[in-house]
Amino acid sequence: MPKAEIAKKTLLGVVPVDSPFYRFHPATRLMLLVFLSVTPLFVDLPEINLALIAVALFLLRWGKVQLGQIKRYLPLLFTVALFMFTVAYLAPGDRATLTPFKLLGLTFYLEPIWWAFVSYCRLIAMLFGAILYFSTNRERDLLVALRTIRLPFAASYVLALSLRSAGMFMEDFATIREAQQARGLDLESMSIADKVKLYTMYAVPLFAVALRRADEISNALFARGYTLSARPATGGKRSDYLRKQYRVLARDWIAIAAMGLAFGAVVALRIGWGAFTDDASLLKALFRWVVGA
Amino acid sequence: MATAPEPAAVGISVWEIEPGERRKPGIVHVVMMALFIGIGIVVGTLGSLAIPIGFVSLFWPGQAVQALGGIWFGAWGVIAGMFFPFISNALSGSAPIPVSAAYLPANFLQGFLAAAGFRWLKADPRLRTWRDWAVWVVIGVLVANFLGAFWGTYVLTWFGLITEAARPTALFGWFIGNSVPSLIFGSILLKYVSPMILRSKTFVKGWFA
Repeated sequence: MPKAEIAKKTLLGVVPVDSPFYRFHPATRLMLLVFLSVTPLFVDLPEINLALIAVALFLLRWGKVQLGQIKRYLPLLFTVALFMFTVAYLAPGDRATLTPFKLLGLTFYLEPIWWAFVSYCRLIAMLFGAILYFSTNRERDLLVALRTIRLPFAASYVLALSLRSAGMFMEDFATIREAQQARGLDLESMSIADKVKLYTMYAVPLFAVALRRADEISNALFARGYTLSARPATGGKRSDYLRKQYRVLARDWIAIAAMGLAFGAVVALRIGWGAFTDDASLLKALFRWVVGA
Repeated sequence: MATAPEPAAVGISVWEIEPGERRKPGIVHVVMMALFIGIGIVVGTLGSLAIPIGFVSLFWPGQAVQALGGIWFGAWGVIAGMFFPFISNALSGSAPIPVSAAYLPANFLQGFLAAAGFRWLKADPRLRTWRDWAVWVVIGVLVANFLGAFWGTYVLTWFGLITEAARPTALFGWFIGNSVPSLIFGSILLKYVSPMILRSKTFVKGWFA
């Protein structure tokens, strides 16, 4: 009797199999990625982008993703903020046309600092959309989603094989490193230059493995009658076993329609009525008041 | 793995179609493209996480992977080089998907220029003469990275990551941050891996086969 599945290994971690995300079709989850990644492009209002970040964090928690899995992004969030605000401070642009304010004895300019904040909120909102997707989906889910939206077989196969091979190369990389350590390689005592050289030399066996694998995989595909067009050599259509394991249910259609309507409304309001610009931001008014500009 | 003998050591260009040789695109090229995207994802993700400065990295050997892909696998490698940053940037958190989409022309140039340079100027990917080195360093590394950085820093400005005034400095930082690892990483791989690739049936002499 097969062992019951208790968790799914996603691209960025491990998620319990009873996560509510898995009640939805993989195509719905892909649509969520598109929605969360593209919507912030039409929104300057930081309040809305901060709300989208909160929604992504809520969905991560709701989806039973251990938030510890996304801790690796904390240094990045910090360095991005540091980088953007430092650039806005050091190279604000034409100072004569900007509004100066003093803080901690330093002169800042309101417009570039505020725009750095607006852009930061937007970029982090888009980034959390991707983190949410890769934390809750496997390569298989992406493959099913792409086949459901009728992406050509060759394209969906290449994408799925790419993601799978990235994992295989990471394992090969670890195997090569362990083999070297077993033969007495002492990484601790190496200089940075030697480590860079060693890192580069790892690529040589990796490419050798890749070439052998390309041969094996293409031979296996050929033996199974695959062609670039995905049509069997005898003609007709090849049945798609994987896609048939998943069904698009009513809740999927409702979720996709809701996201489509919300996205359409945001685009229409932005383009047609100039909504969601930062002029309407309460945070901007608060920021101006705090710095006295 | 190795099916064909290595092309003649001196005299005959590795790009010349030999008498009786027939080349056409096959499944092996598509599979190699997918595996190359996989290698790019690993190298790109590790590079992006190495020395991150905001959404850019001061050490990104991914450009070497893009250039080598174009040189060895022609259009298949160029396509791989265009698309692996989408995934490696998303996994490392170094760029959201719309930003990666805006980088596409830069990623195309970073793979295409090396591929075109080696093919048009008949340079040997094994870097056997000073001329091969010149094509690699000037076109594959310096010109490709300059154009990539030129476009990439515009993208950073469009998305509000840097101010317009900071663009020249960012361009310089990006150019150095991509060129140095590309030069080291790419040169070693061209020298040591090219002989292996040239003997395999995945090597592309034209653009697709």
